Formats: sequence, structure tokens, C-alpha cells
Amino acid sequence: MKNRQVVKNVQRRTVMKAGAAAAGALAFPSLLRANDKPSELIVRAWGGAWGDALKAGVADPFTAATGIKVRLDFTEDNEIKPKIWSAVDQGRIPPIHVNWDTSTNATISALRGVTVDLSDLSNLDGLLPLARPAGLEGYPLVNTYAYVYVCAYRPEAFPDGAPTSWKTMLDPKYKGRIALYDDGIGFNPIAVIAGGGTFEDIPDNMEPGYEFYRQLKANEPLLGEDSDFTTWFQNGEIDLACTISVNARAARQNGIDVQWTVPEEGCKVDTDGLWIPKGLPENEEYWAKEFVNFALSREAQEKWCSLLGLPPVFPGIAPPEDLVGDPSYPTEPEDFARLVSVPSPILVENQPKWFARFNEIFQG
Amino acid sequence: MTDLPKRTLDRLPLRWVLMDKIEAFASLVWPAKCHRTTGWLFLTPALLLVGILLIGLGYMLEYSLHELDLSSYRLKDAYTLGNYRYLLEQPVYLQVLLRTLLAASVVTLATLTLAFPYAYVMVRTSSSAWRKFLLVSLFLPFFIGQVVRAYGWLIILGKEGIINSALMSLGLPAMDLIYNYGAVVFGLVQYMLPFAVLLIVPAITAIGEDIELAAESLGANWLRAFWHVVLPMARPGLVGAGIVVFTLTMTDFAMPEILGGGTTDFIASAIYDSFFQLSNSGLGAALSIVLVTLGSILVAIVFRITGAGTLSIRQ
Repeated sequence: MKNRQVVKNVQRRTVMKAGAAAAGALAFPSLLRANDKPSELIVRAWGGAWGDALKAGVADPFTAATGIKVRLDFTEDNEIKPKIWSAVDQGRIPPIHVNWDTSTNATISALRGVTVDLSDLSNLDGLLPLARPAGLEGYPLVNTYAYVYVCAYRPEAFPDGAPTSWKTMLDPKYKGRIALYDDGIGFNPIAVIAGGGTFEDIPDNMEPGYEFYRQLKANEPLLGEDSDFTTWFQNGEIDLACTISVNARAARQNGIDVQWTVPEEGCKVDTDGLWIPKGLPENEEYWAKEFVNFALSREAQEKWCSLLGLPPVFPGIAPPEDLVGDPSYPTEPEDFARLVSVPSPILVENQPKWFARFNEIFQG
Repeated sequence: MTDLPKRTLDRLPLRWVLMDKIEAFASLVWPAKCHRTTGWLFLTPALLLVGILLIGLGYMLEYSLHELDLSSYRLKDAYTLGNYRYLLEQPVYLQVLLRTLLAASVVTLATLTLAFPYAYVMVRTSSSAWRKFLLVSLFLPFFIGQVVRAYGWLIILGKEGIINSALMSLGLPAMDLIYNYGAVVFGLVQYMLPFAVLLIVPAITAIGEDIELAAESLGANWLRAFWHVVLPMARPGLVGAGIVVFTLTMTDFAMPEILGGGTTDFIASAIYDSFFQLSNSGLGAALSIVLVTLGSILVAIVFRITGAGTLSIRQ
């Protein structure tokens, strides 16, 4: 009898609990779904030193804190873009949860209306102004750090010291032994200044830059992407390149004899950011936002950015020891003043035209 | 069959009985009156594939008639020939196209020149060991993907590669063997060789050895017999191989990207750049349509000159 009573009580309690849960689910369905953890989050990333830094600085600590696995997808940034766009346009679930992207590309996706608004992230408060996307309403993306396209060189090829001007690239001594990005990214504004123009010429008068490119073409530069620069330095194919400081630093950390400098014309400074595509299931979007929020925390910014060797958007984080005082690691306004920064909206509007001219000169 | 007495049926092999059952089932599913369309049934998968391709091309054509709106990075609604006009106005696209066509021509010529003797020796040799060696030599690199092969050439031909190391050890200066047009053409010839050999081999196999002997017994030396008998009879294989090598080269992306050093792009690279780097699907589609049209015209010209019958197709 007693047992039956217990069973009866348990049953009643269980039924009451289940009823309450069902009522809660009916009252706050989005809350219930939002907290339903996905088995994994897919984050698009760059490979090599870039992906390693994201894994160690953000992905692994996030997994430790939430139990959600993070898979890095190394699809090229330009290739994932149309995949996300078509998925959003066709109402399909996008192939990734978070896109680690250049701010320029991210701004293009924001203009296309495929990015989720991140204004409600708690860790946005107190970040440096650099975190805010330029020329856009709210936070359709969030910038996470700054980076500089430095002048990387092989010290063996420059026994008298670092090159002081980008015009060194025109020296016939380095014919066939110089390298740029294959779309001119990171160098277009610098070419204008090195070609005799001024920052004010950008974007309306890029002719000095094109003239610089025409002269440079005679010196047969190699055109490639991040991974190519490391390979070329490693194989002794090049002496001088315009590349992101992260690549040069990674090459040096791997035992390749590479140094970098900021020549008198300056170097282009830019930002990368994170954004979330629209069209994710509610719970997955919630946790994707949690991932981005975590990436903006002091803990993640400190580790991620120090591994990359880049200045984070979280204030007050000291640079890695090997980069203290390095001009490729701007922290103060006067550091940024030595660099050339073109706002993303101008880049978005003009980069296709610059690329067309760059292509015309080097492929023609 | 079913009219046979049961005892006879019992004595029939199981395989026959099974085949009868299958045939009966097939007659049920596909009755005799439908047999006239059996050919079309077999063609259906291929027709579906071609249909899907044509639908894709239709979309491409449609995209190519819209320009990009830089304020939203979407194609404008208005129909225009602006993308095609832009391609004509930019000399770089013509230069890239000519570079691609020149490479396709050189690679085709070089590949056929190398592939024909290879295929001939492989078919005519009496030594089975020699034939196996030639087959393995042909297929071994064939199984290695294009990208891996291109990287292999970087290792061999690079500044600190095997060849330059050998040159420098002899006191000679290092040579620029990669990141130029020559390296791309070389890489493509090496990549296309197995395709060409595989297409030429059946054509040579179809030429009876006795025909060559007959020519020689009528007074032709080996060279004349080869020139007047073997080559003309092998034309189907040569034309087929030529078309395959030419079109594959014309649309190649990896070799120019890896061995070209960024300054010897082919038209496929320009298409890639338009779609992915510029996010301009209208321009990319226009370039794709130009490439498809040009390729089709060139193949049509080859057929016009050599006749479709040259590929053993009845006219």
C-alpha cells in the first residue's frame, strides 16, 4: 500500500514537472530552443599560423567553457562568401556559423544584408573604437584586431640594413625576387604614395599608384596569397614582399630568416572581424553569438591576438615581448598616424576598380 | 516456357529459370509495345545530365545580362549588355584570352607530337614487359592529381630545386625555371600526355599491322608507310585527343595558378577572380559564356574541317 502511495506521489510529481516544463516551453519557446546546444560550431578561418591562433586562443577555451566543439573550416574567404550569400538568398542553412573575415569583405556581406546584428553582445562595451565597423549602422560585424601589411625582407639580401622605401622594389637588383598579393590588396594606397602621390589622392586619383605598378611590372614581381609568401621566403625565391606581419612573424618563428619594416611611405593598416550569417536555426545563432562574444573577452583577445602578434580591440593588453615597440604593432594614435588606413566603405566601393587596373597592368 | 510439363521445368538449370522470371517481370514493367523507346530509356540519364548543364548555362546567360550594383553587391534588375561591353573595353581580357588560346594551341601540338610515338610504340611493341613499363609510366603520374603534380614541379624546378641545385653545384648560375609562361606550358603538356595517349591508342590498335606490311611490300619504306597509311588512319584518335587536350587546356585553372607566379593567368583565373574576388557574378558569367562560345566555335571548326566522321561518328 505504502509503495503504491509512493508510486502515486512520484507519478503526480513527475506529471506536474512535465506539465510545468511544457507550459514553460509554450510560454518561452525561443528561450528553450536557444539554449539547446548544437553539437558543434563551424567557424571559417585562415589556415597556418592564423588557424592555430584562433584554435588555441578562442576555439579551445570556448569548448572548455561550453562543451560545444568548434570546427575550423579553411575554405578561402572569397570562396565562402558566395556560398553564404546563395544559402541566405535561397533560405537554406548557411554552411558555417561564424565567418572570420577581412573587414572589407565583411562590409560587403553586410551591405548585401546577409549578416546578423551583433549589437546585443555584452562584451562590446569598453572595446576600442576600432571594433566598430565603419560606415555601417550597428554591428553587422565586429572588428577584432588591426593588422599591418609590412615590408618583409630577407636580411641576407639587404646587408646594409632594412629597406627604407618601397621604391627599393623597383631596383633591378631584385628583379623577379619581389612579391605582392595577387589582387594588390594591402598595397594599392601605398603604391599611390610611393608613386609620388599623397594620401589625399586616394581614391580619386590613383594614377601615381598605377604608374608605380607599371614600373614595378618591369621588375617581374611574383603575385600570390598568404601561404605563397611563406613558401617563397622558405625556398629562397624572393627577397622582398608586401605581406601581413603575421605571415612574416610565423615564417621567422619557423626558422626562416625574415625581418620586416615600415618604410618611409608607411604601410597599410586594416582590420579583420567576425560576423554571423543570417538563416541559422535559433539555437545555433545564439551559440554563434556566444562564440563571437567570447572572442571579444579579455581572455580570448589576449591569447588569440598575442599568438597572431596583432593589436587587439580589447584595451590595455600588452604586446608580445618580441613586438614591443615594433611599428607593425600599433597601439597608440601616433603609431596609427605612421600607417595608412583607408576606411572600409571606400575600400568596398573602390577595390573592384583598383583590382581591375592592377590586373590590367600585371596580366596585360 | 510455362507450357512445358512440370517435369521438364524441373530439369532446366536454375539460371534459365531465373532468367525466365526476370524476363517475365521485365515484360510486365516494360511491355513489348514500349520497346521502340528502349533506346531513349538508356539515353535518359545522359540527356538529364546534358539538360542540367543547359539549364546552368541558361542561368549563366541570364546573370551575364545584369551589372553589379556596388551599393548592395547584388546584380541590378535591368537587362544590359554592359558586362560584355566592359570585357571588350578592357584590353586585359583580350590579352588573357589570347594567352590562353596560344597556350592551348602549343600544348595541343606538343602533346600530340609526344603522345603519338608513345602510343604507337605501346601498341606495336612485341615485348609485353616493355608495354607494361610504358603503361605504368603513363598511369603513375595520371593517378597523382594536377595540384600535387604542379607542386612537384615547384620542388624540382624551383630556385633551390633539384635542377638548379645541380646547376649551381657545377658552378653554373641558377635559372628561372618556374613562375613563367614556359613553366605553365611545360606543366600542362606533362599533365595532358596521358589523356592524349589514351585516346590515340585505340585508333592505332584499330590499324592492322598487316596494312603497314602491305604498304611496305608495295615498295613504301617505313616512313612513307607511316606518313601515308598510319597517320591518316589514326586521324580519329588524333582529332579526338586534340579536341580533349585543347579544351582541357583552355579551361585549366590550377597550372597557371601554381606554376605561373600570378602573372600568367588564363581565362579560368579571370572567371574565378570575377566570381570570388570581385563578387561580380554578372561579369564572371559573361566571361564564362565567352569561353563556352569560343570553345564550341573552335570545336565546330575542327569538325567542319575534319568532318565529324573522323571521330568514327556516322554522318
